Amino acid sequence: MDILNQLIGGFAVALQPINLFWAFVGCALGTAVGVLPGIGPALTIALLMPVTAQINPASAFIMFAGILYGALYGGSTTSILLNTPGESGSVMTALEGNRMARSGRGAAALATAAIGSFVAGTIGTLALTFLAPAIAELAFVFGPEDYFALMVLSFTSVAVVMGRSLLRGFTALFFGLALGTIGIDTQTGQTRMVFGMLELLDGVSFTVVLVSLFAIGETLYVASRHASAPPAINPLSGGYWMTRQDWARSWKPWLRGSVIGFPIGALPAGGTEIPTFLSYALERRLTPHPEEFGQGAIEGVAGPEAANNAAAAGILVPLLTLGLPSTATAAVLLAAFQNYGLQPGPLLFATNPDLLWGLIASLYIGNLILLVLNLPLVGIWVRLLLIPRQYIYGGIVVFALVGVWGLSTSWIDLALMCGLGLIGYVARVYDFPVAPALIGLILGPQAEIQLRRALAVSQGDWSVLVGTPISASLLAIAALVLTVPPLLAWRRRRAEEAEAQPASAG
Amino acid sequence: MTGKRQAEQRDRRSKPWWMGLALAIMGALWLNGARSISSTTNYIGLGPAAIVLAVGLGLTVLGILLILQALRGEFAAVADEAEAPPSHPAFLLALAGVAVPLLTMRWLGFPLTAMLAFALVTHAFGSRRTGLDLVIGFALGSAAWLGFSRLGISLGGFLPLIG
Repeated sequence: MDILNQLIGGFAVALQPINLFWAFVGCALGTAVGVLPGIGPALTIALLMPVTAQINPASAFIMFAGILYGALYGGSTTSILLNTPGESGSVMTALEGNRMARSGRGAAALATAAIGSFVAGTIGTLALTFLAPAIAELAFVFGPEDYFALMVLSFTSVAVVMGRSLLRGFTALFFGLALGTIGIDTQTGQTRMVFGMLELLDGVSFTVVLVSLFAIGETLYVASRHASAPPAINPLSGGYWMTRQDWARSWKPWLRGSVIGFPIGALPAGGTEIPTFLSYALERRLTPHPEEFGQGAIEGVAGPEAANNAAAAGILVPLLTLGLPSTATAAVLLAAFQNYGLQPGPLLFATNPDLLWGLIASLYIGNLILLVLNLPLVGIWVRLLLIPRQYIYGGIVVFALVGVWGLSTSWIDLALMCGLGLIGYVARVYDFPVAPALIGLILGPQAEIQLRRALAVSQGDWSVLVGTPISASLLAIAALVLTVPPLLAWRRRRAEEAEAQPASAG
Repeated sequence: MTGKRQAEQRDRRSKPWWMGLALAIMGALWLNGARSISSTTNYIGLGPAAIVLAVGLGLTVLGILLILQALRGEFAAVADEAEAPPSHPAFLLALAGVAVPLLTMRWLGFPLTAMLAFALVTHAFGSRRTGLDLVIGFALGSAAWLGFSRLGISLGGFLPLIG
């Protein structure tokens, strides 16, 4: 009952005309960046961060939420019509969706993706509404050692899950942790790693790192390999709206996708990719039309697209309740909270209920806006792809300059942008994941504070780190996350060798 | 025979040992930095240098591992068959577009810098209509400057040279 009252209060905030306006702006912007290649929600929010100085936090986060959800809707559009997933979360959608578009059923694919996104987004938001306060309540009992263990778990799982190898993941993570140590130590006031530059006393700005690694790195990469011609757009012509049979085949995948997506998204390293893989595999197994998979099965669009959106709602659970980001976008949102001097976590539910519940209520509204924006108007969004690529990337660099120069008009920031952009390019070429670096950068200093706090309380006794059941089990899970996948790979290799040997002997 | 061919293939692949080296150097920088942070003794528990030290150690170890992997030839660039081979002139043009603000931002101001950066990047993408690109870049830069100034975000003077 209390939750319902809070939610109604949230709707009162979110339905104010000015906030509805920002929600609309966010949704439109999110859809646009979802459609356009090279820009994602994380980058868009980072570039808009300077603007937040001018509008109140509730409006800003309502807009950001619109961008987060909108990018998912827009991403499915390009996956289906172009076979170029704008984001890793929509790779699976492209598999079946593009096939459907090629056989003239693009409209049905877009419809099942959009409606599935709406259904899953709403279910995910409902789950968020009722789960988040409970988890936030739980988090009140967390001591510093528990928080530290939680962050260690977050580090290890992000480094393991994202990227192609452990080494790459941990390299990215430690790079971010290293950047996070630059600046004044918050506990003793000593300067660390500033190399004599006053501009670095406040640390390396998160926006600069994110913009450089993503936008500049991506621009350099695409520029150096632009010879490959842009793919042709599948026209929407002759498309039929979803038939009765399409509906019958879609609604179960939508629900299953939501059920898979939300809990995985809510894990410390969930992300949106894994649920889409799982949902695709599940639908493929359960479908009564297995022969259609690979040829454009509607279940293969409906399921992953729903999983994707439900996971996006799931990501907000650890972010809002524990201050724990699990994707690049969540890390930017955390940085935005910090810009306002707010720390997401259990206290925020008590101190800023208007902001949090307004944000959650706006997710319901945003889903509705997006459904309206995307179903009838999809033709307009696709037209964004007609902008020549050189202008898209030229524009990206100009807006990256706005984001970086607008922070504090500092020359050092521009130099950092150039250097980190080169590193982003190398990371892109050699397939290093960027998200662990961002999460290391934003979570590293916090993990350090919690660790030092725990050790100060225990008078320097390290056993405090496993002193509570919560911290001990979290650290144990972190150790498992680290050791189990390589062990499994080693066993599989052994099994393969054992199989190969008798075969070669015989 | 097959071993020889494998070795040849491995040679042809790039061995980006320099990445690990750069990381190890960064680690050394951090380790050295940790030394110069005086650990305050009256502080219970961990001092401000400890994390810097730990991160430095981590970076160094990861750097060495990266070098080893690279030298064993296990660390190739993502070789997407669909991707065109990298074009160095285009890369350098785009890099120039990113670097030009370092030289011009404080002298020429945001709109002109945005114009130059925009034109350089579009040329990296193969555009040859210099005039049009400069006009679009200037319009985009001015619009961003005006819009963000109205929002209260300073992007410096419009044309610092004029004042």
